Amino acid sequence: MRTLTPGGTSKNPDTPAADSNAGKRFKKQGFWRTALQQRYLYLMSLPFVIWAFVFSYLPLWGWTMAFQDFKPGRGFFEQEWVGFEHFVQLFQDDRFYLALRNTLAMSVLGLLVGFVIPIIFAMLLNELRGMIFKRFVQTVSYLPHFVSWVVVAGLVTKMLSTQGGAINDLLLGLHLINEPIQFMAKGEWFWYIVTASDVWKEMGWNTIIYLAAITGIDPELYEASRVDGASRYRQMWHITLPGIRTTISVLFIMQIGHLLQIGFEKQFLLGNNLVQEYSQVLELYALQYGLQMGRFSYGTAISIFNSVVSVILLFTVNGIFKRISKESIM
Amino acid sequence: MASKRTKWVAPVALASIVGLTACGGGSSDNSAAADTESGPITFSLFSADTNPNWTGMKDEVGQVITEKTGVTLDSEFAIGGDTQKVSLMIASGDYPDLIMPKGDTSKLVEAGALVDLTSLIDQYAPNIKKMFADDMNRLKYSKEDQSIYVIPTYNGVGQTSFDAGGGFELQLEVLKELGYPEIRTLEDYENAIKEYYAKHPTINGQPTIPMTLNADDWKIMIGVTNPAFLATGLPDNGEFYINPETFEVQLHYKRPEEKEYFRWLNKMYNEGLLDKETFTQKDDQYKAKISSGRVLGTINQEWDYSEAENVLKNSSDETMQNRIFGHFPVTLSEEYKDHSFMDVGFPGGYGIALTTNLSEAEQIRAIKFLDWMASDEGQILTQWGIEGKHYNVEDGKRVIPQEVQDRKTKDSAGFAKETGIGQYTTMAPHYGDGVKDSTGNYYTTNFPEQIQAAYTQPEKDALKEYGAETWKDLFPQPEELGTSPWGAAFNMPAPSDPAYTVAFQKQTDIVRKRIPEAILATPDKFDAVYDGMLQELNAPDIVKMEEIFSQQVKDTVELWGTGK
Repeated sequence: MRTLTPGGTSKNPDTPAADSNAGKRFKKQGFWRTALQQRYLYLMSLPFVIWAFVFSYLPLWGWTMAFQDFKPGRGFFEQEWVGFEHFVQLFQDDRFYLALRNTLAMSVLGLLVGFVIPIIFAMLLNELRGMIFKRFVQTVSYLPHFVSWVVVAGLVTKMLSTQGGAINDLLLGLHLINEPIQFMAKGEWFWYIVTASDVWKEMGWNTIIYLAAITGIDPELYEASRVDGASRYRQMWHITLPGIRTTISVLFIMQIGHLLQIGFEKQFLLGNNLVQEYSQVLELYALQYGLQMGRFSYGTAISIFNSVVSVILLFTVNGIFKRISKESIM
Repeated sequence: MASKRTKWVAPVALASIVGLTACGGGSSDNSAAADTESGPITFSLFSADTNPNWTGMKDEVGQVITEKTGVTLDSEFAIGGDTQKVSLMIASGDYPDLIMPKGDTSKLVEAGALVDLTSLIDQYAPNIKKMFADDMNRLKYSKEDQSIYVIPTYNGVGQTSFDAGGGFELQLEVLKELGYPEIRTLEDYENAIKEYYAKHPTINGQPTIPMTLNADDWKIMIGVTNPAFLATGLPDNGEFYINPETFEVQLHYKRPEEKEYFRWLNKMYNEGLLDKETFTQKDDQYKAKISSGRVLGTINQEWDYSEAENVLKNSSDETMQNRIFGHFPVTLSEEYKDHSFMDVGFPGGYGIALTTNLSEAEQIRAIKFLDWMASDEGQILTQWGIEGKHYNVEDGKRVIPQEVQDRKTKDSAGFAKETGIGQYTTMAPHYGDGVKDSTGNYYTTNFPEQIQAAYTQPEKDALKEYGAETWKDLFPQPEELGTSPWGAAFNMPAPSDPAYTVAFQKQTDIVRKRIPEAILATPDKFDAVYDGMLQELNAPDIVKMEEIFSQQVKDTVELWGTGK
């Protein structure tokens, strides 16, 4: 498909500044001409542009709330403007930093583990010969994805229980410990428990996309390498991995953009009062200290912070990738 | 115009905060004026409580209500303790016609969403007026804004409790084995548990749990922190201790005697008597333990564990039937008295409100509907059901036929769904237990004879040994406990000032973390942890919060005219 961007005709980034006027005119003409030529394509894309505008850009208007002392029921012009007061309050609150720390810790852990393991798993699955066994393992491994976090949290709590919990029974049985460990009462373990349960739940599901990417690799490459005498490990390292590198980097960049948005179900359901110093995450903080108290402005301020940080992270990582591997999503 | 704009902007922005989408509330029908006055009409209603048995007024009582009043309620119920819903309604400006907002009243008032009912009640609601009579002052919103926004419906007017559901619970089997000892102080309670536990380290082959508490989420207040003031002779004022002379307010944790209560829990834990999973288990795990019959003692309110207790009651094994709990007014030492049954007067509290969604004619219709529900006819219908079907009148007395009573006890959910009895009680103002109508019958179906009849045999046996007819007889009676000029502070609407709400949330976070920590500490570290918590609770913003609440108490006393 031909490019739809208005800059499509002037690919040269080194247009001198002096020429800018003429350049603009030229661009403009070019734009209208292409627009006319491709009017059906434009028309077809219009609904989606409108959709994106209405649902993704118009709501940004609500950001004004963060700069007001928003009171529901009052008109826009009757609101009291307070400037950056809510942001000042936010950045002075210790609990905000606590929530930020926990969010980042759990999402970075989740990113590292949740990335490496599905890739390894996909590569291992790919090496399996028996089709039936392969399908079976794959199905079994992604089924937990469809289990609700409520149920998973119940399972995890039960497994780690001190009274008849499987893990404690196992450790006791192996004489590794003398007394049951209270896993759920140890704050410093909370991050790892969340990460581990996340891996259990999502590993199989995340594997699917890599498996799909692996199928796209040209089989001739493998054949050629076998002729050259490459072992299976060599094949994995030199063919499979580079073959899915693009997929990996695109997914990685997108994940980075969601670093601050890790949801709160896991933390909310697995946490308890004893570990709240480690389980409080930004979205829970926004819910408790913003919405539930009717402090809409404060909640919006947190949301703005989230979005701004996410955008910065996304562009930074994208830029880095662009520079080192020529792969990027923008 | 401008307000229309913000109306949709706000929910979309909110949705981006929490990833929730606002759901619009119902809207009223724009029927013709005549219809509004007397014809069939549908009101939308939102309740902040869960109601799994709601059938959309298809039940027997509901049909009669619609027939008599022409009103159909289109109700929506929140799931769990959902506090977002009302906030979202405010943000979108979409209100139902009638609303039962529980603790969120002040948010709605601030948004100007509620109708002042003062003159409506005065003109169109003789039954409601009669019901509240002298307590009308207690319906007023605040000293500054003396409008009536909410008609209390959760608390029955003139309510007398005939049974105790709280206090400290001990298994009947323990009592029986130890020969029904006196249980008055923490020491008595602890000794009973210890003695039985030493004799029976396992029950049905599984380890005995000497004592466990429910500390999941907000229930930590019911099971862990509220008992601290109950055991040190205070009535329930939520998180606060209110000085009855000066109305100065402080968080109740700051009282030195409560530290001793928590020290006792700390000791119980370190001696292995308090379940190690107390602070990590979830609600369902707690209930599973109770229903296994292995728990000797717990500290809770019966409504929280009755579900689990029912399993034991219905067991075919006689010993298991005896593993349900008795209630005792246990205190730190003899000098304190349990204040569970203090007479707080009519506490007002949560109820039903009309929103600005209603036109003036509709408001009149709605208040007339509530008034009908408050009439003797409406009361008896909602509490007893339909005459000849759910109850009979014999010699001028209302009697529930045995087969109806049996269904009610054995299949309470199915019974409620089919008949609608009990479904409409909290939707309108009503008289409480113990109040009689003009025919000399009780308005409600809870009265002493009925409560005693509902006890299981093991309960009756245990009560007999203690020379009591109900558990309440064991507790200090209202006459010896005095009255409270501000009612019950946990029922008071919370100030909506962020200086209060934010500090209150902060306080909650601190307490819910530090109290478990203090209880789980080794005995030598207990003081350090507890004092650390007190220091955190003395932060300037929390002290300020106490002052704001103190002012609220003073204003309430002035508004009600109950001061000295």
